Amino acid sequence: MKRYSDLEFLKLSKGQKFLYKLTSFFASIPRAIGGIFLAIGRFFRDLGLGIAEEFSDIFTTFKEGDWKTRASFLVMGLGSMARGQVLRGLLFLLFEIVFIFYMVTTGGYWMSMLPSLGKIGPHDEYSAVLDAYTKVYGDNSFKILLYGVLTIFFIVAFVYTWRLNVKQNKIAQEHERQGKRLKSGADDLRSLVDEQFYKTLLALPLTGILIFTVMPIVFMILVAFTNYDGTHDGYNNALFSWQGLANFRTLLTWSGSGVNYSATFGEILTWTLIWAFFATFTNYFLGMFVAMMINKKGIRLKKLWRTILVMTIAIPQFISLLYVSKMFAKNGIVNGLLLNLGWINQAIDFWGSNAHSGLLPRIMVIVINIWIGIPYLMLIATGILMNIPADLYESSRIDGANAWQQYTKITLPYMLFITGPYLLTSFTSNMNNFNVIYLLTGGAPTNAAASGAAGSVGYTDLLITWLFKITTGAEAQYYLASVVGIMVFVVVAFISLVVYNVLPSIKNEEDFQ
Amino acid sequence: MKKLFALLLALAMVFSLAACGGESAPASAGENKTDAPTAEAPAAGGELAGTYDITVWCADAIVDLTKKQIEDFNANNTDGITFNATVEAVGEGDAATQMITDVEAGGDLFCFAQDQFARLVQAGALSKLGVQAAEMVRTANDEGAVSASTLDGDLYAYPLTSDNGYFMYYDKSVIPEEDVDSLEKLVEDCEAAGKYFSMETDTSAWYIASFFFGTGCVSEWATDVEGNWQLNDTFNSPEGLIAAKGMKKLVDSPMYLSSSDGAGFDSGCAIVVTGTWAYNTVEGILGENMGVADLPSFEVDGKEYHMGSFSGFKLLGVKPQTDAVKSAALHKLAQYLTGEQGQMERFQAAAWGPSNMNDQASDAVQANVALAALIEQNKYATVQGQIAGSWWDIAKVIGTDVENATDEAGLQAALDNYSAAISDFLNMDPEAAAAWSVIGALCGTNWDTDFPMTEVSEGVFQSEVLELKAGDELKCRQGASWDVNFPADNVVVEADGSYIVQLTIDGDTGTVELIAQ
Amino acid sequence: MNKTLEKRSMGLRASRAISNTIIYIILVIMSIVWLIPFICIVLQSFRVESTWQVGYVIPQKWGWDNYIALWNSDFKKWYLNTFIIALVVSVIQTFIVLCMSYTLSRFRFKMRNGLMRFMLILGMFPGMLTMIILYRVLKDLGLTQVNAVPGLILVYVASSGMGYYVSKGFFDTIPKTLDEAARVDGATRAQVLTKIILPLAKPIVIYTILTAFMAPWGDFVFARYVSFGTSAGMNVAVGMYGWLQLDQIGQRYTMFCAGGVVVAIPVTILFMCLQKYYVEGVTGGAVKG
Repeated sequence: MKRYSDLEFLKLSKGQKFLYKLTSFFASIPRAIGGIFLAIGRFFRDLGLGIAEEFSDIFTTFKEGDWKTRASFLVMGLGSMARGQVLRGLLFLLFEIVFIFYMVTTGGYWMSMLPSLGKIGPHDEYSAVLDAYTKVYGDNSFKILLYGVLTIFFIVAFVYTWRLNVKQNKIAQEHERQGKRLKSGADDLRSLVDEQFYKTLLALPLTGILIFTVMPIVFMILVAFTNYDGTHDGYNNALFSWQGLANFRTLLTWSGSGVNYSATFGEILTWTLIWAFFATFTNYFLGMFVAMMINKKGIRLKKLWRTILVMTIAIPQFISLLYVSKMFAKNGIVNGLLLNLGWINQAIDFWGSNAHSGLLPRIMVIVINIWIGIPYLMLIATGILMNIPADLYESSRIDGANAWQQYTKITLPYMLFITGPYLLTSFTSNMNNFNVIYLLTGGAPTNAAASGAAGSVGYTDLLITWLFKITTGAEAQYYLASVVGIMVFVVVAFISLVVYNVLPSIKNEEDFQ
Repeated sequence: MKKLFALLLALAMVFSLAACGGESAPASAGENKTDAPTAEAPAAGGELAGTYDITVWCADAIVDLTKKQIEDFNANNTDGITFNATVEAVGEGDAATQMITDVEAGGDLFCFAQDQFARLVQAGALSKLGVQAAEMVRTANDEGAVSASTLDGDLYAYPLTSDNGYFMYYDKSVIPEEDVDSLEKLVEDCEAAGKYFSMETDTSAWYIASFFFGTGCVSEWATDVEGNWQLNDTFNSPEGLIAAKGMKKLVDSPMYLSSSDGAGFDSGCAIVVTGTWAYNTVEGILGENMGVADLPSFEVDGKEYHMGSFSGFKLLGVKPQTDAVKSAALHKLAQYLTGEQGQMERFQAAAWGPSNMNDQASDAVQANVALAALIEQNKYATVQGQIAGSWWDIAKVIGTDVENATDEAGLQAALDNYSAAISDFLNMDPEAAAAWSVIGALCGTNWDTDFPMTEVSEGVFQSEVLELKAGDELKCRQGASWDVNFPADNVVVEADGSYIVQLTIDGDTGTVELIAQ
Repeated sequence: MNKTLEKRSMGLRASRAISNTIIYIILVIMSIVWLIPFICIVLQSFRVESTWQVGYVIPQKWGWDNYIALWNSDFKKWYLNTFIIALVVSVIQTFIVLCMSYTLSRFRFKMRNGLMRFMLILGMFPGMLTMIILYRVLKDLGLTQVNAVPGLILVYVASSGMGYYVSKGFFDTIPKTLDEAARVDGATRAQVLTKIILPLAKPIVIYTILTAFMAPWGDFVFARYVSFGTSAGMNVAVGMYGWLQLDQIGQRYTMFCAGGVVVAIPVTILFMCLQKYYVEGVTGGAVKG
């Protein structure tokens, strides 16, 4: 495609500008994809270089260090305390003591069990006198894996802190040599509310994310390499163990005489993407139109219309969606009404019809999702539309533009530009939209071609509801769910990183401030 | 400064680790628990006396009754047992799912439907019945209920009801009583009246099976505790095709509705195939017009087939305990709750059909209309044995396939799909499932080819002579699946050469050796 | 006055009147479509002649029976649980989200971009999978079943830092020059936040409180894990979801509708009162990352 310089670009008409932006958006996708791989490569290169550098730095610090610095290699914080930075030194020391205590008392056990995930399973014992069986439990694979992961996190944190301790000694020693004053504990604390304020602010949120988001994800990724399922739950029935890449092979290549996982996965993924596309864009455009209608000059009772729509947000979905799902049942109110009016002479099976790959239920969930989604978009669009400078419309009207032209030339480009990131996030969250599908159809109607040994799959099942079925049904296969989860992650991450990297409003983050 | 931040962060982690890790490590490391009971335990008598805090999970409808029954037990038992019980309303389906998710947190006693029985045993969620208790259950309850609680010859649960089957409710004002024996006439009546014939054959294999059992098809499953299945299944057969044709007659009707909701009578249904639990609702809606009957017959090629059904059971399970005394006390309570008196009380309070044979013979039970219809239908019913959980998912696809089929070939394709999925699930015949093989990165394969092994003596398996290279890795696995495999870490070949891989099984462990040739 | 001009403006007025009428018609139809399910649920909750689902909308007999039954059931406890969770979560979560988003909007530090990208990627991992492990962690901490309320609060709050996106967008729209001026006057960073930024951020604070308050009312998947069959630890969604079970729905359906109405009341009122701020917050933030 032809690239314009800034000056040439300015000369273009609005439509051409928009077209240019659009084509350059798509043209930059391949570059963005390449960029992702480059970034990954760069990351690993930097990581390797960084580690090498760290090691050489540690080595020189030791070689050139005085006794305080060298002692700190073994007893953390000693150097700091010897130099008068008592608070800092004490914290380092305390951390080391806690770490050693933890590793000796419990951490060591978890680490030693991690390679095997447990050795002794449970068994029954019978007492003839009491005529009763008792269960004698053995190791707990689940806890071994869980606390093993936590312990590894902890070890990493320790290594990092140890490294800080060494680095800090080096700096302090240097300052001492130059005769500079060292920071006192009070200095440290003061800086925490000033130039280092961000550390104070982030400490709590990031700790929470680390323990309750990152750690579970690491754990579930590891589960994909085990055989953890309902009959190998690691404690109550049988231990689970490491399986290498076997589960991934099963998902990707396993094919029996009838159905196979990879085809099932592909089929559900396709529908998930279709669903996410329609769910996002129908809501987007219809929500925008509704906002424009309500905002139109001369329309009264604006607040009433908004409030009515917004009520769908306020009422929990498990109540409203379940009711809506009953309304559209074959013997539900909607069919009853249509029959009475004589518009149809046979009830429509809104949720159960599996003609054309369940086309009707699929359209239905998208339509009902509009019912849910429009209010949100209406609210967002209302705010943005109000922000569009009125004189833009005024001048275009003088130029003789009609309403449609105004929409395509002013409103739409403005909206698209500003809501780019929002569109991306709502696309990914629609891919994982559990509530709408689960409450409306539960995945029905059954997709005969994809169901079978891989579990029951419906035409409206998204990957996320399929995951739910795999993990909660009679045959909970956590390891398979993890593998599927990783695949979902790869797909979503790929799509969003590509889009994210070419979005104009992300690139120019600073421009907005 | 960064250091301080990192320190705080790490400290926060330490405390959280110390808080959860410290407490649980000793418990789960417990390889030598001291409270394990031994055969030399002192004689019972007053041994069970004591107060126990327990949780009981049962359906909402019998929560109050169960509370009362436990109080009665506390007052009347001679062992000095007092239960301090929390009774929670947890439906049968939920109870099974929850127990499988986390046995430890589950109820000490819990009610569940028998289709989950095998899964629960395999999940380690059921405490095996003692020898005497098992004998009592066997003599007091009907044969089907006992078989529903038995796995591999051992009893794992107490039969609670014998009413988990389905039959037909109909609206007498729409359906003439003389038509209830014929599916074709019923469908005609419904179409004429513009009312629905409701049977959940789209989404539930439980109801789909009705047609197949009617023509004499079987799907008999047997399993052991490890979950190895044996199957005798004849759904894909000429009889199966007849069943599919019968089913087609129903699902092709415009007035067919896939539902088992008794409330359907309030929104356009004239017939609902469902179970005893819907009785109160249906009676509330139809009143005098409520009709109850066994399922009808359908006609294919001039021959009548009476629709079959599953006869199923609700069971009461005891969660495995580490304390022998508590375990024994809980089993006593379970026996009381599921005994003759307990079941009769439950019948009186919630109309649950007893599995106890003395109760079944009582006049009150005989007089209940819904149970009478169920008993009538049970003549054509197949006792629901230990069916694999996946079967329900596999078989329910028949419903969709039959509905989509346009001709006889389509119906046959539905059955072919079914048997293909079944063999996928079983993966292979039982003999192959028990066979051992070598797999790994060897002889040019990469963890994708199984090399068979043969049993040379009791518990010793050997492969053919294999040409291995240094650095090759291998494992032995059973049934070409990773459920059972040895050793934990891959065997790594140290030097090139010809080897026989030998596996020696000793109880739960296996050792793999390479024997150079 | 020029005649043609008058004609044209009359024509304009006429066409505007027509288009407005069309819009009114559409809006009225939409309002009906949007309101029908709620009206139906409310009507069902006052139906006393039967307790199951029926094929008609207007009750034959009206009464408060379902609400009285609700009062006599465990619903009170569930409602209180949910209310406590919603209240505590909305306070702490707002605090955390504000910390997070303010920092990411105002500070430029070494790991900033890496951190934001990392969290973006984390958010793409399906949360469905981590529920089982979160449940186990809570169980080991003793925060399940009877103690489900603090357990749920902990999990909701702990991961709330991930939702910084919208409010960071809002902070980005507040000019940085304000901070700089204050810094020149000798204010610390902490003072800038509390004295200057927070008063300006009222819409986003209210938006965050509102969304945080609403979420716990509808969670029936994870909350079901955590309460694990213990009525005392359930929230309204889990408890009421139990009423839809096969053997209960016949007796509980109208109660379910009544429960739905009671749950919807506080959220709806709150929402209506604070709608203005919600709009300001969401438009200031959501549209710009």
